[in-house]
Amino acid sequence: MRLVALDTLAERIGLKRGQGAAEARAMCPSLDVIAADPAADQAFLEALADWCDRYTPLVALDGKDGLFLDITGCAHLHGGEKAFVSDVLSRLFSLGVEARATVSSAAGLSWAAVRHGNVAVIAPGDADRVLAPLPVAALRLPAETAAALERVGLKQVGDLLEAPRAPLARRFGSFLLLRLDQARGEVDEPLSPRLPVPSFSSERRLAEPLQDEEYILELTRHLAKEVRALLERHGEGGRLFELLLFRVDGRVFRVRAHAAVALNDADRIAALFRERLQAVHDDLDAGYGFEILRLSVIRSERLDPTQEDFSGVPDESQPLAAFVDKVSARFGPDCLMQAALFESHLPERAGGFAPVRDVAAVLAPAVDRALPENRPLRIFAHPERVEATAEVPEGAPRSFNWRKTQYRVARAEGPERIAAEWWIDGENHPTRDYFRVEDQEGRRFWLFREGLYGRETASPRWFMHGVFA
Amino acid sequence: MAADAVQRQTVLSLRETIARIEDQRLPGSVRAASAADPAGFRRGRDETSRRRVLPVGIPELDVVLNGGLPLEGMTEIRNAETRDAGAAAGFVAALAVLYQREKKEKGSLAPVLWISQSLAAQEAGQPYAPGLKAHGLDAERFLFVSVRTVKDVLWIAETALSVPVFAAVVLEIRGNPACLTLSESRRLHVRARAGGVPLLVFRQAGEEEASSAFFRFQVRPAPAGERPLPGGSMLCGSIGHPAFHLLVEKSRAHAPLGIFLEWNAHDCRFYSLDERRSAALQANDEPADPRDPLSASAGRSHRAQPMGRLLAFARAS
Repeated sequence: MRLVALDTLAERIGLKRGQGAAEARAMCPSLDVIAADPAADQAFLEALADWCDRYTPLVALDGKDGLFLDITGCAHLHGGEKAFVSDVLSRLFSLGVEARATVSSAAGLSWAAVRHGNVAVIAPGDADRVLAPLPVAALRLPAETAAALERVGLKQVGDLLEAPRAPLARRFGSFLLLRLDQARGEVDEPLSPRLPVPSFSSERRLAEPLQDEEYILELTRHLAKEVRALLERHGEGGRLFELLLFRVDGRVFRVRAHAAVALNDADRIAALFRERLQAVHDDLDAGYGFEILRLSVIRSERLDPTQEDFSGVPDESQPLAAFVDKVSARFGPDCLMQAALFESHLPERAGGFAPVRDVAAVLAPAVDRALPENRPLRIFAHPERVEATAEVPEGAPRSFNWRKTQYRVARAEGPERIAAEWWIDGENHPTRDYFRVEDQEGRRFWLFREGLYGRETASPRWFMHGVFA
Repeated sequence: MAADAVQRQTVLSLRETIARIEDQRLPGSVRAASAADPAGFRRGRDETSRRRVLPVGIPELDVVLNGGLPLEGMTEIRNAETRDAGAAAGFVAALAVLYQREKKEKGSLAPVLWISQSLAAQEAGQPYAPGLKAHGLDAERFLFVSVRTVKDVLWIAETALSVPVFAAVVLEIRGNPACLTLSESRRLHVRARAGGVPLLVFRQAGEEEASSAFFRFQVRPAPAGERPLPGGSMLCGSIGHPAFHLLVEKSRAHAPLGIFLEWNAHDCRFYSLDERRSAALQANDEPADPRDPLSASAGRSHRAQPMGRLLAFARAS
């Protein structure tokens, strides 16, 4: 067992990362050792990244223990960069997180300063002065490059800054110079945020935390009105909305709601979240309440304004869309399905259901397609095994035993021979002979015999695949 | 004199209320009295309170249905055994086709919503799109929801009934669940009437139970006719259009014992099965009284009651 992380107190005692746990215990008997759980650490870091959404939507993860925040244009909202940093740190401290932060004009410079220096805010021109005394490891170099640099005596970044560039590149590769330039801010380094940045969003910070679901919904409606103004200005309507709820203790809940048509109506947006909150009710633990609510539009599309008319012909797509939204908000987007026909010979592939994504597809006029006549009204997802006896081996069944009941066949039509689709199932898949049979009481079933006598199998099996009207 | 008039007025208003609850046209005397408005204005409520119906085209069925299929409100269709689900689903789908066509003639492409308890879809099979299309339904406008609990089924049904876009809403449940009692069915019925949407409650393998539906039918399978040949003769041994044996279990009108129907998907309408054939069927396979399939046992406490004696059902759920 080795130590992988230490807190400040342990570092002060003189323990080091990579030290054996037994040795560390010998040095300090009262040491509290907790088994490492990288997955939980990652989850915590992501939760913190969610929490940092309150400052900026552009949050990127940095390794196992760091976060990049792109605060371009955000700092003044918090009273300048210094106040920003102290606000972040004091809030994190009250959450029980020990953190360091640096604001600078380049991601590399911030990284170097926060891990190897102790400057809170670096002015744009100060990069070289801050970097000079830092060790070369502060440039985010691979371990072997850093070791090689130290071997030749280039221990500090200042040494690299003074050294001629061409020999450096020749000996240590161009990556070193790239890192150096990134740290100095001469090469732009884009951050890749972990979540897409919403195109429209509106938020409300509350003086007093909010617990009641009704108030949350009411506030969501207010936010939706603000978002509506933004959407209208751009002539767009939202298809995917997200409600971010920042709980007082730092946890962040994301509730997403899909809309079946482009929406910009505040009441409809609020209604989406009413169903959604009902559905996630148990997972959404309000605890001591939420302090920030933010409504974002993740995906939007063009929405031309329409005018109500007096013709009296109701537009059916709107109420239908409202229904689709309500159901999919409550039971998930795949719950409500639309019957779909597919190009296939095999019955189970020829017809199925596809989730309703677009209301226009439901109300569009039917496409005329030639379909086989004799298809059952209901089909079993998995054909059920039956014991059947036929008069002649290749003929229709005379009687069969399905679900522990004996049926005597009065009439039969068939066979309809359907071969497997070799391009999907392979060439050895057995052929089916379908029979439409009616028993003595008038029940009509769809049976098939799997495999051709002699050619494919010696004893074909019978299956029940569907029932007719 | 005055007290007498007040009493009569009270009785009249009570009768009117009862008639409204029972959704029947007012008897003549009550109608005349209620039409005589003291202020002298003629009220149009007799016209508006008339039920909107869709005639089926089979005289004996239309009589049972009191004019035709209700275009708003609840109708219950049940089958006795799971293996009859195909026939019952066929009848329900046929009604949905009629409703959808009626909407289409008015110029709106209305979808049919089929809400199913997932257990029901597992036991009796899922609706199959090519089969629905062959049955006459617009496959593109067939929406299907399958949820696990009956409560969710009811929630979706109520939501669907509040939006006036569906040609018909089908609610498929299995057996007699405890959370669909008389009060819930009343609620659904009222919703369906308010929304102007026909609601078909399809009870798979369920007992008959008191509900608020206008009508309740039991569907049994019936041997289909044979396929007609171009010359006018029949193809011997073939299986033609689907046929149903309909037992009317709840209706205000006098109901015949059983109605044999055939659904023609090409014409999108029901035909009455050949009288001679249905008579032969009755004689051969079916007992004379379908409610009393076994001969009555004498001197036992649980012997079948004669028809017309049953006033209310015990709770089956």
